[in-house]
Amino acid sequence: MNKFLSDKYAIPRNNPTKSDKLTNGLLALFKSPVAQILLFTVIMGVIGQLSMEKILPYSWTSAFATTFSYAIAAVGFCLLMGYSGLASLGTGGFIGIGTYSVYYIMAESGLPFLLAVLVAILVAVVIGAIVGFISLRIEGIYLVILTLGLSEILRNLYMVLEDKISFTKSPVILGITITRQLALYVVLVFLAVVMIITSNIINSPTGRAMLAMKNSTAAAQAMGISLMKYRLLAFIICTVYASISGTLLMLVVRNAMASQGTGFYALITSLNILAAVIIGGYKSIWGAVFGSFIMYGLQTVVLNNIKFLAENPVIITFVSGILVIIVVMFYPGGLAQLVLELRVKAKGLRTKMREAKYGKDLG
Amino acid sequence: MAYFLNTLFGSITPMCITALVTMAITLIFKTSFTTNFAQGVISAFGAYVVSSAFAKLGLSLWLSLPIGMLAAMLIAVGVDVLIFRNGRYVNALGKQIITMGLISLVVGVIPLIFGLNDPAFKSFVNGNFTITLSDGSVATVTKNSLVCLALAASVIAVIFILLRFSKWGLSVRATASNEYVAGMMGINTHIVTAISWGLAGALGALAATINASSGTVISGYFMTNYQVYAFLAGILGGFSTFYGPVIAALMIPLANNLVQYIVNVAGKPELTGWSMVIVYAVALVIIFFRPQGIFGKKIARKV
Amino acid sequence: MAKILDNLLPSTAQRAVKLRQSYDWIKTELSELDAVYEAKKQKALDSFIVKANKKLAPLAYVACDKAEYADSIMEKKLQEYDVNKYLSYRAANHKAAKAIFKAINAGEDWSGALDVMKGEVEKIRSDRAAFVGKLRLKREALIAKGGASDPTEYNAMRTKLEAERDDLSKALDEKYEAVIAKKRAALEAKLEKISGQIEDNKARSAKIGNLPDDVLLSVKGLKMYFGGLKAVDDLTFDVKKGEIFGLIGPNGAGKTTVFNCITRFYDATGGEMYFENKYGEVVDLRNYKVHDIILQGISRTFQNIELVKEVSVMENLLVAGTRAYRSGLVVHALGLPLLKKEEKLMRQKAMRVLKFMGLESYANWLAFGLPYGILKKVEIARALMADARLIIMDEPAAGLNDSETAELTETIRRIRDEFGVTILLVEHDMGLVMNVCDTVCAISFGQMLAIGTTEEIQKNKAVQEAYLGVEEDE
Repeated sequence: MNKFLSDKYAIPRNNPTKSDKLTNGLLALFKSPVAQILLFTVIMGVIGQLSMEKILPYSWTSAFATTFSYAIAAVGFCLLMGYSGLASLGTGGFIGIGTYSVYYIMAESGLPFLLAVLVAILVAVVIGAIVGFISLRIEGIYLVILTLGLSEILRNLYMVLEDKISFTKSPVILGITITRQLALYVVLVFLAVVMIITSNIINSPTGRAMLAMKNSTAAAQAMGISLMKYRLLAFIICTVYASISGTLLMLVVRNAMASQGTGFYALITSLNILAAVIIGGYKSIWGAVFGSFIMYGLQTVVLNNIKFLAENPVIITFVSGILVIIVVMFYPGGLAQLVLELRVKAKGLRTKMREAKYGKDLG
Repeated sequence: MAYFLNTLFGSITPMCITALVTMAITLIFKTSFTTNFAQGVISAFGAYVVSSAFAKLGLSLWLSLPIGMLAAMLIAVGVDVLIFRNGRYVNALGKQIITMGLISLVVGVIPLIFGLNDPAFKSFVNGNFTITLSDGSVATVTKNSLVCLALAASVIAVIFILLRFSKWGLSVRATASNEYVAGMMGINTHIVTAISWGLAGALGALAATINASSGTVISGYFMTNYQVYAFLAGILGGFSTFYGPVIAALMIPLANNLVQYIVNVAGKPELTGWSMVIVYAVALVIIFFRPQGIFGKKIARKV
Repeated sequence: MAKILDNLLPSTAQRAVKLRQSYDWIKTELSELDAVYEAKKQKALDSFIVKANKKLAPLAYVACDKAEYADSIMEKKLQEYDVNKYLSYRAANHKAAKAIFKAINAGEDWSGALDVMKGEVEKIRSDRAAFVGKLRLKREALIAKGGASDPTEYNAMRTKLEAERDDLSKALDEKYEAVIAKKRAALEAKLEKISGQIEDNKARSAKIGNLPDDVLLSVKGLKMYFGGLKAVDDLTFDVKKGEIFGLIGPNGAGKTTVFNCITRFYDATGGEMYFENKYGEVVDLRNYKVHDIILQGISRTFQNIELVKEVSVMENLLVAGTRAYRSGLVVHALGLPLLKKEEKLMRQKAMRVLKFMGLESYANWLAFGLPYGILKKVEIARALMADARLIIMDEPAAGLNDSETAELTETIRRIRDEFGVTILLVEHDMGLVMNVCDTVCAISFGQMLAIGTTEEIQKNKAVQEAYLGVEEDE
């Protein structure tokens, strides 16, 4: 730049037309993560509306609502594991924090739903901070098992408090009664907010500090990064997201049992969220959302449409297990890595086409 | 007094089960450097095999038990040989996730093989021993729990002897301390790991059988609780030794029952449900102040 | 518990840290001020040039020599053709060669195969000749269509635009000069105010040790025991301002342990460490946590490269600037404009450091997979990002080849001279140490053997013995 055209001859230049400018502008806009997230939310909202009007299968509404509720917890877990390098198996218990806080607050004090959610978030902050402190002393696999123990404490606590809870009355948000179908929109709004906040954090100095901490605690500390601050932060964010996720799940499912071995608060939920993040690619929030879809939505939305699988539902469990194993065995970077590899493959395909056109370079 | 004795006798079976599962998980942790989350379901699979062996083939329970153990052993070895060694870049975390995938896989397979009905099960022996105490109260202990105790104790004793005195035990300890160096010293770490997995599977199946023989209804997830106890016992006792986790494993169910006993004796039976919360909380506090475990050794890290 | 509370509640100490943070930030802003406006000016000029070129393009076509113009276009097309045909040419050649070899191996007459090959080559040649012929025709057409060259209009326009550009540049300079002066004055006033507050703090903070004027870091009787092992035992040395201080010793002498004590990775068993920090106060390093050491003005590199492998080189440098950002979590989470402003400034600073290290072309590369020598440089660049007063280098030459080590020697000197920092390094490469260090301290088994200039150390008997062993018979 900063040069006039060469004296000798003019290079014919295609001036961008107005429509070009528009497309370029739009492309630039959709490269911003916020716009992508909003677009995704709108598309999912439209799909939900279509499914409510039974143009698409009716079961999709609740399937997507459940998936995206879990996806919120998965996004938090993605930040915890992919960026801070901490692992936890406490998600199940943390999900219950939201459910029980909101249940008790609404039943006891009759506070509006959103305020109750706020209180649930505060409770989650306290528990997250406790786990964060623990993570300063105990690391790696020990931390995983410790959080598992903590989650079991919480689950036993729930069993003692009230084993089976149900939201009989639909909560009201801004004057609208949230039925089980409308819950999808609440979930989508929360998901969009959570994803935008997380993607902002990931791309900010905070996200970089977390990555530095994950790579080498020694180097991170030498660069002025306080382990306490960022570990606490990571666990608090993860716990708060899980708590929100639990609240939204109750909006969708309406009742839950703590003593059930396969319930919301059991080990299986923690494992599924972990698997979702791994399948999606543990450093990608889109991967986390997609992974949750595989763990929780795939069955209703896709597999049930295959007649053989719909008749033998156990095979779905079997298949999802095999899927997880295959992904970890061959794509340790998850689906995000698969997408990358596909891009490389596409490039290879272009080379092949060139070769077909001009002959092969046999070297 | 009788109530106290009954509490102790009632703890025998859970203690045996937890100790066996913990032993299995410790073996795998020390040779494969991963926590096997599928331990519970593999054990359950073993119990299913035992159940079909005596209910459908008409064998005795004593003959069915080795068959179940063998089946679980085969699955466990298969996990190590077929999955862990063939992955592209499977690291410790990846192994964990694979074991999680195994949970779904095995739980999905069980109804395909054994059908959807609850499997039949029975005790090794029926009947009780009763002890009449001086104050006239009666404490009972089931004969089955004593058989289970004998089984579990002898199996664990054999494994400890093997670990201490056999060549395999030496290899396991070498692999546990450093897999890479052990490999360079001429130890076939693949075989060591495979044997450990096989043993873990067999131990799991034995634990599941003991659990089922004491009257618990079998399902895919019916060992999950004990698996969680076992993990906790592992870090409570410290994974750096073999005996630490097993001792911790004996303590956890016992402590649970004792807390219930104390609560009941203190006249607050409504607090019984809190017993597990209390035990977990105490365990976590201990771990927080001794991260290396009660019996573990601290390893300094170089910066 | 008190410790935890201390961390959660804002204390006077933390307010003091905040104050210093603003001080650092304003200093950064001051140092980057010119660059910021330079970039703005460049941007304005660039956009002007783009517009000017748009105006010039049709005139330039009229002005240019049509034959030359046509030649350039044709050359390009021919090049394209050659590149594309090259592959098929190679393929044909390969095929023919294979056929010939096959014939030779089978003991058959291979002249037929050779003829085929010749034919192929001939065909390719004739194809190309035909293409060139076509191009010639096109060229003639282009020249005929273009007409005669007439540069007058173009030259007039160009002169006019050049004058406009110079005017713009001057106008921008004037405008920005005023703005810069105003901003600088404002920032300096702020700095004055803050440094006044820092002075107050200094006066208030009760115990500040005393150091001789020319000493930056003073280590007195440092002890570090691991159980029974005395890794460092009663070590005393002073690092003077602006010098390059080398710490040498055989393996296991405790050199890295000394570093880890100074940077607070280890809690020293005993001894004192005083440091004159970047605000001119003398501090006792033992009062600071490991992650606060950087705020005092000590940054370090590592023996094994400890970079974040999964982000770019630029972002690795930004990690070292984490404490410089004044925006908090809320700003980060919401992606507010304040963050973008700070980010821009920090990136500019990082770019300057990268240019200094000769790494600017690697700025957007992932650290993963870069060569070892480059990564070592990135580590040093990262240490430079922190505005440190003392840079501690742990074996900077480890794993480098001779030419890289020579370059490193030069770099270390340049860092000292241009950034005005003091450098403390541990090194095994005696060549480097003797070349670059002003003062060398030799230790063995945690105890001081000798300290002095490089010549003194080289002549020292004890050092020779530690390195070469004691000679039995003399």
